[in-house]
Order: sequence, then C-alpha cells, then structure tokens
Amino acid sequence: MYDHLDELEAQSIYIFREAYRKFENLAMLYSIGKDSTTMIHLARKAFFGRIPFPLVHIDTTYKYPEMIAYRDRMAREWGAELIVGRNEEAVTSGMGPERGRLVCCEKLKSEGLTRIIEQKQFNGLFLGIRRDEEGSRAKERVFSPRDKNFEWAYKDQPPELWDQFNTSFEPGTHIRIHPILHWTELNIWEYIQREKIEICGLYFAQNGKRFRSLGCMPCTTPIDSGATTLTEIIEELKTLKDPERAGRAQDQENAYAMQKLRAKGYM
Amino acid sequence: MNQNESLKIVIVGHVDHGKSTLIGRLFYDTGSIPEVRYNEIAATCKAQGRAFEFAYLMDALEEERDQNITIDTASTFFKTAQRPYVIIDAPGHKQFLKNMITGAASADAAILLVDGAEGVREQTRRHAYVLSLLGIRQVVVAINKLDMVNYDRNRFQKVENDIRAFLHSVNIVPSYVVPISARDGENIAKRQGKVPWYKGPTILEALDTFGNVRGDAGAPLRLPVQDVYTWDGKRIYAGRVETGQVNKGDEIIFLPSGKLTTVKTIEKWQETDLSLAGAGECVGITTEDELFVERGEVISRRKRKPVKARKIRASIFWLADRPFQAGKTYTIKLGTAEAQATATAIEERLDSSTLEVTERYAAELLPSEVGKVLFTLKNDIAADLYSDNIRLGRFVIEDGLLIGGGGIIQGLTDESGTSAQRICLNEHLIIGDEGSSVDLAGEGGGIEFDVSTEFLDYLGQGNRVLFRLRDLTQLEPVAHLAFEHDLVFRFSRAAEGINIILYKRGVLDEVVDDVDDGTYI
Repeated sequence: MYDHLDELEAQSIYIFREAYRKFENLAMLYSIGKDSTTMIHLARKAFFGRIPFPLVHIDTTYKYPEMIAYRDRMAREWGAELIVGRNEEAVTSGMGPERGRLVCCEKLKSEGLTRIIEQKQFNGLFLGIRRDEEGSRAKERVFSPRDKNFEWAYKDQPPELWDQFNTSFEPGTHIRIHPILHWTELNIWEYIQREKIEICGLYFAQNGKRFRSLGCMPCTTPIDSGATTLTEIIEELKTLKDPERAGRAQDQENAYAMQKLRAKGYM
Repeated sequence: MNQNESLKIVIVGHVDHGKSTLIGRLFYDTGSIPEVRYNEIAATCKAQGRAFEFAYLMDALEEERDQNITIDTASTFFKTAQRPYVIIDAPGHKQFLKNMITGAASADAAILLVDGAEGVREQTRRHAYVLSLLGIRQVVVAINKLDMVNYDRNRFQKVENDIRAFLHSVNIVPSYVVPISARDGENIAKRQGKVPWYKGPTILEALDTFGNVRGDAGAPLRLPVQDVYTWDGKRIYAGRVETGQVNKGDEIIFLPSGKLTTVKTIEKWQETDLSLAGAGECVGITTEDELFVERGEVISRRKRKPVKARKIRASIFWLADRPFQAGKTYTIKLGTAEAQATATAIEERLDSSTLEVTERYAAELLPSEVGKVLFTLKNDIAADLYSDNIRLGRFVIEDGLLIGGGGIIQGLTDESGTSAQRICLNEHLIIGDEGSSVDLAGEGGGIEFDVSTEFLDYLGQGNRVLFRLRDLTQLEPVAHLAFEHDLVFRFSRAAEGINIILYKRGVLDEVVDDVDDGTYI
C-alpha cells in the first residue's frame, strides 16, 4: 500500500535524481544526525544502493566521540567516500563558544564549509534541513541558490513550482539542494523505524537523558527521557511541547540567530 | 484516506485580509504552538511594545516582522483529530506573487480569505485566478473580520455573492463559504455562537472533508524518463510514474522518439520481482529491447499516448522582473523534457485581477501579468492538454538562468501542423462478429484521420462502422470525415457512451433504418 512515507520518500528520490542529472560536482553534507543519515538512505534508494557523490562532514572538533566513531563505521559500511573538512586556522586559534556562540558557529561551521566547497569546487550540495525545524528553514526552496559569497538572498528567491527546479547557476556560485525539506521530525522517526535505519546511539536514553538533536558538545543539551527504543521515541515525540532544536544553544542566542547565520552560509 | 497522510493547504487572499492571523489561530486552537515558540513570540512582541502577534508564527524573517508583511511562503504543520496538515502561507502583496505561486503550486486545497468589511479586492481576484490556473479545485472561502461589522448577516451575504460570482468566472465552485473572525476565533476550530444564522462547517471541519489529490489508476500511463543509468550491466530508465500504472510485460512506447518495446523489469533498491508501479512511485524500468532513449522521453502505451508537440498554445503567468517578450526564445521545461520555444505570439494579454483582455497580439507581458501565448518549439516534446492530464499539461519557462513563469496547455499541434493524433483508420478498424468499429475512446487530445482507399472500399461494399467517441470534442473530426467522403452519419444509442455509425449513402439506408436506435443529423 502506498502511504504517506512512500510519498515523502518518492519526492526525495525525485529530487536526488534531478540533482544528480543536473550537477557535475555534487557532495552531501553529513552531520551524523538522524536527518542526514535518513538522507543517505534515501540517496541509496534513488541510486539503487549507490552513493554516487562524496559525503562531507564539517568537523568543529567539539563533537561527541560517539558521533565520530559512528560516522567512520557507517561510512565504511555504506562504501561511501568521506571528506572531513575543518577550519584549521580557527581551530588552531582556539575558537570556541566562549568567544560567542554565533561567532563560533560561523567560524567553525559556515567557514569550514565554504573552504571545502571552494577547495573541491562543488557546485551542488545536499543538506538535510527540514521546514519544520525553525522559521527561516520553513522559507527555503528545494533548490536554493547561494551567491559567490555563499549568501542566501532570502528576500528574493526564484519561483519553484511543479517539481521544476532552478538548476542553472553562474560560475562561482553553488546550489543547496534539500531532499528532505518537506519531512517533519515525526516522519523521520517513523521512517527510521520502518526502514530499520541505524542511527547514532546518543538518540536513545541513557540514565534518563537522550539527545533529540545532535550538535557540538558545549552547545547541545540532552532532554529528560526514558525512551530507549524507536517506538518509545515516537510515542514521546507526540507528547513533547518544546521545539526540536530547544537543546541547541546557538538557536536561542537571539530571535533571528538562525536567519542571520543561514544568510551567511550556515546549514 | 490514510490518517497519517497530510493535506497541504494554501491560504491566499488580499494583503491585510488576515492570512497570518488565521494561521496563528488555527495553530493556537489546535494546541499546535510549542510553548517555547509562544514565549519567544510573546517576548519579541513585548520588546516591540505590541500585543501578541499570531502572524509571527509564519513571518519568521526579521524584515517580515519589522514591516508587518509576509515576504516569502512558509510551511508549518498542525494536526487535528482527523489528520496532520501542512499549512502554506502565501504572501498577499502583488510584488511577491512569485512566492505566492511557489507556495500554492504544491497545495491540495486552498482557503481563500476575504475581509468581510473590505470585500473582494484586487489580490483576492488575482489569487483566485491563480488557484484556477494551478488546477486547485478544493477551495473554501473564509469571510474574515466579521467582528468588525458586528457579525452582520447581510454584509456576509453581500461579500459571499461577490466572491461566488468571481469564482464562477474562473471555473471554481467553492466547497464552503464560512463566516469567520480569526481574531475572536469564531468558526475556525470552534463555534463561539456569534453567527447563529450560519449552519455550515467551521474552517477545520471544512478542511477535514477534503481529500489528497492523487491520480487514479485508470488514467493513461505517463512515465517521463528522468535519467538513464547503466549500472550492473543493466540499462535502467529512472523516472516517476506521473499518472496511470506501469506493469511488467506492458508494451510501451517512448515519445517523442516513437520507439516501441516491452517492460522487462520494474526496479527499486532492495525490492525484487516488482510486478507494477502506480502514480507517484519513483522506479527504474528495464526493457526487452536495447534502446537508446534519453531523458525527456515519456513512456506511455500505444493507446492514449501523449501528443508529439511542435506548437503549444498556453495560458501563462509571468513572474520574472524582466517582461516576457513576443518573438523571444525561451527554454520551457515540461515533465523532464526541455525545449527551446519561441513565443510566436502573445495572442491575449489579460489583467490578472479583472480577467479583462487588455490587448491582443501584445509585444510583452509585464511581471505578474497573464496571457495566452503561442509557442513554436525547436524540437518535439511529448505533452498533453492540461484538461486531459495535469502533470504533462503544464510547464515552466526559464528566463536566463531562473524560472520566470509557468503555463498550462490549451492547444497542441505536431510538426506537420495538424492538430494532435493522426488516426490511421485501417489500423484502428476492428472487424468482428458484432459489426465493425473504430474505438476512439482511448485517444486524448485532438484527432485527425488518415483515410485509405481500403477503408472507403470497405464502406462502399455496404459495411457500416461504429465509432466510439471519448467525448463530444471528437464529433467534429468524425463529422468532417463523413462530409468529405459523402457518408451518412448518425448517433447510435444502443451502447454505452457516445457512438456514431458511418456508412455509404444509398447502399444500406433501408437496412439501417430497421434499427430504430438512430438519430439523424
């Protein structure tokens, strides 16, 4: 039977295949989280088991060790090419959240990303963001152009309709492609359960705490939870009142933190 | 429908008629606003020294909040006991029409919001027309701000009459017209008793009656080739079944190339031995014959296939900053196909608010304008009329690097200049025990006949042939055939559908007259 997860899946596959056809030099941003792990599973569906582009992980050096171990193991299992990008200059200079969370995000994540894009000349980049995560992501297009300075012209986005996407671009610019933009947090968990996708262990409760959203250690707080299985997580989600990214400190810095970060190239 | 399947609703209407407030109210009344989000908005509003602003739920951008407008479309999510909803907020300002269309194009249903005090305005009409162009048929009209007019029934009735009349002119029949106040929460999720004279559903009840828009399995097969992968020694045609159903073993035709073959396998990752795929599914197809077919070709069956189009007549809406110009060549994207298309003529230029034809054979269309345009294509493209197949009957127009507009197809002509399908009567003639027939019921689009001497000889021998028509639009070519070859033409009411009997004048008149089922023309 064709249900709502099949429909979401088909839409994602369609987006992947459009991008693969239209872009020469693609990469997928892999954050190790549940969303980008689901995105990889969808890519394998689109390409009959293959991942025909490299995965890029931006390492801020502040990630949980469990995340890094999981990342390396999964990449081997998938047979994927993994590129780890790092803003070495900022890391050596001792960049950290104590210098300002938003500055830190911009230096270690946004700049780490722009460097690797420039170095590898990627012109299309898959990102696992979703419209229900927060306000500025709700405004995104599926194919979203970024200019030479990696800036997002969120006030003047081109139209996108009937699954016809903007796939042409000027040299030096790149397109962000969002294959799971239309999914919700609950959809992701239901799909992980249905497809038996292996996710990072930090999502499951240990000692009464679990992570709902994964990020850097200093800026990520787990929630109180006893959910140790996917079924329990899905049941718990239906009762939670807080937004998904409530445990991500950079989002709470000010009302427009995400908009400002994202306009300058943040994920 | 499936309880988990979400319905996408777009909310449209004139600026300041209360779209964002309505959305806020829908969220609030269904308990869908996270506490933290509520607190964030409350804090922002307090800092600005204003009352709690529901609109901030959707208007997340700083510029939107500062200027009190919606700039870009946004999606948010809420749930009723029935099912989850995706709400698409579409900007009301004319300058953001492209964002409104981006939002509305993916919706299953729409709420058209009209200010009860102000009545129908320019963007109300323009948005209604856009809904019609986008093919959105499930529409509920919400007449808002009735608190401002003391819930006056006559006022409501007046606005209802105005909007119904306009919607009628764009072929939309609203499912419901609901009197509401988004501010007071009247008739959104609950009844507050302010409009005792209204007996219909609330907005939420109205939405719960709508269905998800999905093509039925009986529709003709359309599977545009999205890409071709040569992996594991196989040549796989990847694509999405837009309408209809594809089965293993089906005889298929690729258009525009016209190549014929049979479906060998239907492929998905980690699934083996699939026997069929229905509308909406993304699959891979392998074929019995080694063909070299590219992206843009459409897989269908020999009967009810799309038209190999060279000329397209379409209603288009233009969204780019630069005008759309007659004589200029654009790229059109239809399904997975692309073609260079010259705008041969802008036959009509319309005011998208009043729908009046402002100019015939115009030189250009300005941003936010609509028109009827004739395109001449540099290469063939497989297409349908919008009325026959929404998915293959619409396209976007690229202006430079970006999408500049969209169109829906109202007329198609192939390379030879004849309209649509050529029906070879010899091939289509089926001679059976029950009599002879030509079945046209499966032919979409316009048709034209190839008449052979064999066919005419067959009639000349006193045989009669029954034509089964799909609809009355096929009457004209059949009548033409009869006129040109001096045949008698009459309806047969013996069978289901529209049937016409053709035979040679004089030869068998008396025999056929015995059958008292005919109506002479």
